[in-house]
Amino acid sequence: MPPRLNASQHAGSGSTISVYIPSPLQKCCRGASELSLRVDTLGALLRELERRYPALHQSICDETGTVRRHINLFVNHHHMRDLDGLDTHLAEADVVTIMTAVSGG
Amino acid sequence: MSDKILLSIGTKKGLFIAESSKARRGFTLRGPFGEGVGVYSALIDARGAPRIYASSCNPFFGMKVLRSTDLGKTFKETKSAPAFPKDDGRALANIWSIEAGKDRKELLCGVEPASLFRSRDGGDSWELVPGISNHEHARKWQPGNGGLCMHTILRDGHRVHLGISTGGHYMSEDGGETFKAANRGVGAGFTPDPFPEFGQCVHKIAGHKDVPGRLYMQNHGGWAEWDGPGGRRPNIGVLRSDDHGHTWRSIAKGLPSDFGFPLVVHPHSPDTLYVVPLEPMTRTCPGGVPAIWRSDNGGGSWKKLSKGLPKKDSFFNVLRDAMDIDSFAAPALYFGTTTGQLWMGRDSGEKWERLFDALPPIHCVKVAVV
Repeated sequence: MPPRLNASQHAGSGSTISVYIPSPLQKCCRGASELSLRVDTLGALLRELERRYPALHQSICDETGTVRRHINLFVNHHHMRDLDGLDTHLAEADVVTIMTAVSGG
Repeated sequence: MSDKILLSIGTKKGLFIAESSKARRGFTLRGPFGEGVGVYSALIDARGAPRIYASSCNPFFGMKVLRSTDLGKTFKETKSAPAFPKDDGRALANIWSIEAGKDRKELLCGVEPASLFRSRDGGDSWELVPGISNHEHARKWQPGNGGLCMHTILRDGHRVHLGISTGGHYMSEDGGETFKAANRGVGAGFTPDPFPEFGQCVHKIAGHKDVPGRLYMQNHGGWAEWDGPGGRRPNIGVLRSDDHGHTWRSIAKGLPSDFGFPLVVHPHSPDTLYVVPLEPMTRTCPGGVPAIWRSDNGGGSWKKLSKGLPKKDSFFNVLRDAMDIDSFAAPALYFGTTTGQLWMGRDSGEKWERLFDALPPIHCVKVAVV
């Protein structure tokens, strides 16, 4: 079972939220399937990931800071594009899920 | 004593390594490495203890560089991959070429959008080469069907030749500090000016260490029937330069088509080169009958090589890096197809046999004797 890195390990400011990591990216955060962080927006979450797990951040965002084309970020069950993008406010106990887009070929 | 042949086969679904003794009778296959992810470029770096590098071009999570230090038995990601500076505004979309640099651990990497990166530590860290990546023309280059890619890096002492689609041929004569477009005689069929200063869709450039001033180019041909502004542009597809790439002239006469992607030069004869003519519209073998064409006199005339290849119903493409030649005295030529076949042509391509029949679509093939 991949470990869950909790808030006590990752104290910060803002709401305590959970981030679910897809299995191909767990190697970028010491095998964790879930991270617990204190942040208040999606943008702040990505900055925190960049600071703590640069390889994970590079897999989610390109050099310009744009979320990669085939990566989708959901807050609870809502895609970030249907919310306020990277300005989306994160509340206590929100769940952010990183998912890859459906593709084939 | 070298006694082993290694083939790196980059495919749509990862990297395969094929290995054989120097007799080339029976290749064993291992892989895929970086499974499920497209590999567009590879390098078997035989300087010192051999290392194999491959780009792993992940559309989800971005670009990685794979490295093997055990002849392709295992691969690990290097510590980092090329990346543009944060304030540059460009983002890496693909890695199209990996070549050996001037020092043992130096690597050069051509990427999409067309730019050049250098590593001085065997691929663990990378720096942008500004002389070409920030060239005044760079923001004017346009992507071809495969993207705006820097696919060819050719070193000759202090000279560095680059092939960009669509940017053309660029050359440095100061070790890679500065670059200038060198496309005199290189045509384009998709611009009103048939011979622009830059912006050509160069497909591949190759040379020979014994005659460094001579270069061969497979350019985007297939414009003989164009009737629009600027007129017809026949035979702009296969070219030769005898002055280090400053000027170019056609050597396409005698080929069934001047359109194609790869171009390979014989390891021991600068006069011998190989191309794969394709139908320009479909980019498949003319008439469904594949053939490699060889010139033994620097492009003065051409010979069709098809013994052992299918005689009908074959409509594959051979991509720009999907052909290579080994370095034995009687070398064998290798090419991979977009339909997943890997072919070997013994005796300089005279007799062909299929090594593998059902790999994923093949992007690149490199061979080395180790």
